[in-house]
Amino acid sequence: MNNSNSRPHFFDLKIPLGGLLTFYGSVLLLYGIFGSHAIYAMSFGINVNLIWGIVMILAGGGFLGFSYIRNRR
Amino acid sequence: MNHIINLNVIDYIILGAYVSITIMVGYALKKYMKTSEDFFLSGRSLPSWITSLAFISANLGALEIIGMVANSAKYGILTVHFYWIGAIPAMVFLGVFMMPFYYNTKVRSVPEYLKLRYNEATRGLNAFSFAIMTLLMSGISMYAMALLFELMLGWSLTSSILLSAAVVLIYVFFGGLSSSIYNEVIQFFLIWFGLLPVVFIGLHAAGGFSGLIQKIPPSFLHSWQSMAKASDNPMGVDWVGVVLGLGFVLSFGYWTTDFLVVQRAMASEDLAAAQRTPLMATFPKMLVPILVVIPGLLAVALLPQFSVTAPAGVTPDYNSALVLLLAHYLPNGVLGLAITGLLASFMSGMAGNVTAFNTVWTYDIYGSYIKKNMPDEHYLKMGKYATIFGVLFSVGTAYIVQSFPNLMDYMQLIFSFFSAPLFATFLLGMFWKRATPWGGFWGLLSGILMAAVHYALYRLNVVHYASEMAADFLQAWWAWFADFVVTILVSFVTAKTEESRLVGLVYSLTPRTHHEGKFLRRPAVWGVIAIIAMVVLNIIFW
Repeated sequence: MNNSNSRPHFFDLKIPLGGLLTFYGSVLLLYGIFGSHAIYAMSFGINVNLIWGIVMILAGGGFLGFSYIRNRR
Repeated sequence: MNHIINLNVIDYIILGAYVSITIMVGYALKKYMKTSEDFFLSGRSLPSWITSLAFISANLGALEIIGMVANSAKYGILTVHFYWIGAIPAMVFLGVFMMPFYYNTKVRSVPEYLKLRYNEATRGLNAFSFAIMTLLMSGISMYAMALLFELMLGWSLTSSILLSAAVVLIYVFFGGLSSSIYNEVIQFFLIWFGLLPVVFIGLHAAGGFSGLIQKIPPSFLHSWQSMAKASDNPMGVDWVGVVLGLGFVLSFGYWTTDFLVVQRAMASEDLAAAQRTPLMATFPKMLVPILVVIPGLLAVALLPQFSVTAPAGVTPDYNSALVLLLAHYLPNGVLGLAITGLLASFMSGMAGNVTAFNTVWTYDIYGSYIKKNMPDEHYLKMGKYATIFGVLFSVGTAYIVQSFPNLMDYMQLIFSFFSAPLFATFLLGMFWKRATPWGGFWGLLSGILMAAVHYALYRLNVVHYASEMAADFLQAWWAWFADFVVTILVSFVTAKTEESRLVGLVYSLTPRTHHEGKFLRRPAVWGVIAIIAMVVLNIIFW
């Protein structure tokens, strides 16, 4: 088998993965800001969607950023 | 039927996004599938961070999470044995000692190694038993998923089974192992992001770790202290059962010979990456108890039906522990994310089984017994058809397994039949050059039969154990022992293989691969670090 173009063999997984996590983070963040706050009674008043949305945007953005830097080189 | 979780439109957007991205990833991989090696082994080209996460995820499927949270609610911290002693030593052994044989011989599957080292019959026995086992497992995952989704969301069993089967079929059909691996990596992140919120909120509700400790029975807090006698601990297993049955036989049998996980390492870009795959995977593996053991303990502390004060005589449905926690503490939004994480782990568990089945079916059964020496495109096409067949068979199995009460025990049972003895065959094959072809075959067959006989004796009440789990662990041990002894005995009376044919297959006849370069790039160094970390964890939770 000819391996001359073996790298990169497949597309970079970091892009769909980072995209999905960023998308989830944004949905959660927006819902945490604009959605009803009554639902947070069950989580002891903690707005988990807001907090977790930010965490996921950071994680997803990290994957996308890392992929961007590597592909530029 | 009443369901306990109500999803809203946000939750459905999250769920839908996952399903669409998996299908898109599968479809995007379609154009890379030119040869059968691309389809079955990802063209041996993946970097080790991807294969390591897939390696862990392949084992973080349906039954794992629900079943292990159930175990934790039932037995407490003892559940960590499945993650530490029951996994880490075997993964290190695979990475440091066994991976060079798998990778350097260029075998495409575990049964193919058996053919090279022993003979065609040994390969056939393993290939058939493995093909049946993976399809059963895949059916079990699907059934577990359907059951859970009925309980949670009120979806009918049939609609969840057909939905998951259709999605898995589409993405595996297009992208083969690469689809499966890519989805496993996505799943790895979704399950962590999905379940961590309930861990945090649950701990908040329990008053932090100190509050949690006060609300659960003391016997739930130690991993080894109650292990001296089987009757002293809730699991009904003593340390001999845990060390020999789980830590040695079941875990080595699973991690080092189960093609489902080994296939991920084989897809690596080079030997060093293949060796790093299981070694790097040990670190996330050691942390998985955060996602399963803590929720189990939280269920005991927070949900009245699992607590110590629950009325005696009523056995709670431990398999619902995690779902009830989610329903209780997660608001919509993160709730949808948690459900998506579970759906992802179910689907990727099934996809993993289907891809492993594909490969073994096509290379070791179809390509060896039915149609030999066909052009590569023929086998690529066959692999795709086998995907369809595998998914359909799994759907059938999903309807058959409904009569088994505890899915986790059932899974251990299947493993102890097929994979526990196999480890003896590999151990002798790789490290004892005197093991003969027929020694390997009769040893493996005896191991499987021993498991079956032991199981019959246990069911007929001829042999007794303190618990079902103790029976499984000891059954694995006896199956392994039978294989080990019979392989050695038969090897002394049957014809040897010439040593020249065993070069590259047996440790003592294979030149060592020296890993040049930096200290931190050597597999053995990472193996030692992983073992030290595991020992420290065991001491902390002694």
